[in-house]
Amino acid sequence: TGGVAPPPGPSHSAPPAPGAESGSHRAAASVMESWKEERTRSVEDNEMSLPSLAAAYTTILRGLGEDPQRQGLLKTPWRAATAMQFFTKGYQEKIIDVLNDAIFDEDHDEMVIVKDIDMFSMCEHHLVPIFGRVHIGYLPNKRVLGLSKLARIVEIYSRRLQVQERLTKQIAVAITEALQPTGVGVVIEATHMCMVMRGVQKMNSKTVTSTMLGVFREDPKTRDEFLTLIRS
Amino acid sequence: MNTHRVNDIVEEFHCNNGFSDLIIDTKKSAVHRKHETSRKEDEDQSRLPALEAAYTNILLHLGEDTHREGLLRTPLRAAKAIQFLTKGYHETIDDILNNAIFDEDHDEMVIVKDIDMFSLCEHHLVPFFGKVHIGYIPNKKVVGLSKLARIVEIFSRRLQVQERLTKQIAVGIYEALQPKGVAVVIEAAHMCMVMRGVQKMNSRTVTSAMLGVYLEDLKSREEFLTLSQRTEQKP
Repeated sequence: TGGVAPPPGPSHSAPPAPGAESGSHRAAASVMESWKEERTRSVEDNEMSLPSLAAAYTTILRGLGEDPQRQGLLKTPWRAATAMQFFTKGYQEKIIDVLNDAIFDEDHDEMVIVKDIDMFSMCEHHLVPIFGRVHIGYLPNKRVLGLSKLARIVEIYSRRLQVQERLTKQIAVAITEALQPTGVGVVIEATHMCMVMRGVQKMNSKTVTSTMLGVFREDPKTRDEFLTLIRS
Repeated sequence: MNTHRVNDIVEEFHCNNGFSDLIIDTKKSAVHRKHETSRKEDEDQSRLPALEAAYTNILLHLGEDTHREGLLRTPLRAAKAIQFLTKGYHETIDDILNNAIFDEDHDEMVIVKDIDMFSLCEHHLVPFFGKVHIGYIPNKKVVGLSKLARIVEIFSRRLQVQERLTKQIAVGIYEALQPKGVAVVIEAAHMCMVMRGVQKMNSRTVTSAMLGVYLEDLKSREEFLTLSQRTEQKP
């Protein structure tokens, strides 16, 4: 598997997964390999990492000039560590586990849309939340997917350190690889707290990204129908 | 006041006898600590390496690959980001208010509402954000309007609890202006409740602090609440 075990000590960097390219190539690595390149983390890994994460958060509290011994902050390192593990729980899950039994043969070839899926992610550049909505549409090719599985695919990829462009693509590609549909469209509209709470501080700005695959990309009418239906 | 002078002397003793400059007098209530600036702005730069190392550790222990392109400078960016999000520790009310208090023969309510507020939950280190509405009834002294928003910034850009934040803003204004009354209402969404835990998307937390005539006189309080809750009429 493409699993990366957590290191025993702070200075040890994670070994690359077998078969995966080095850091600078990873971004360019074929997105089609995302299916196999799942970074897996187990519940035991989480438990083992917790003390180190809590220690790191204690350092952060001190470095910010706060007093980690005051009542409100006493258990904060542990809470923050568990919270951060929850926000990156997508690393613990594999698409294959989520999907295996919810693909059904159905003689349906009209568009299926699941929209307004609430999405929460973490900006990988500043470690600050991103949140918004995901709209997914696909044209089945004799195989349909359990509807909640679309939302679960969103969860697996969004609960990671992410970049909105990559997140959109990963969701689209995962659906394509699972179902081989005639086409897939994914639109994400999100607010980036790194832009709202700091930096340029633009309260109302939203970022919209989309990935259109198959007939959604080639046929403007299909794309139009999808975009109209998610807007209403 | 005498108690404050005594506390100052005790603080100076601690500082001058080589105690860590990170000591905050936790015995005083959060609202009344005199030495609010527990962090100096020029110290931020020297604290960055420790914060960076902590973030690198966090990334490693979350199972990420710190050498991939997107994460290469993340520890530095995240460290600077969290320093910015807690920059309220640098600032005191005195610094920003000193020259913006004006003698004005006005004793009607002044309200500044819909002040966007961003803070960090001190329990999970996750953001909470919302709007602050402030009202006060001057007692011959009015304050520059933006200073009310700056007071919100000072106290919100810290590790906070919404109840304490509301009170600190109210007491800060009260101590600076000695007005007839101060009212502060905060309505916020807590990401620690939305993104994790109970995961309730639409829940909002509302807290308020009423001082002086707002506490005693029902009519003033009602006027404030009506005027601050009114939304713009859409055509």
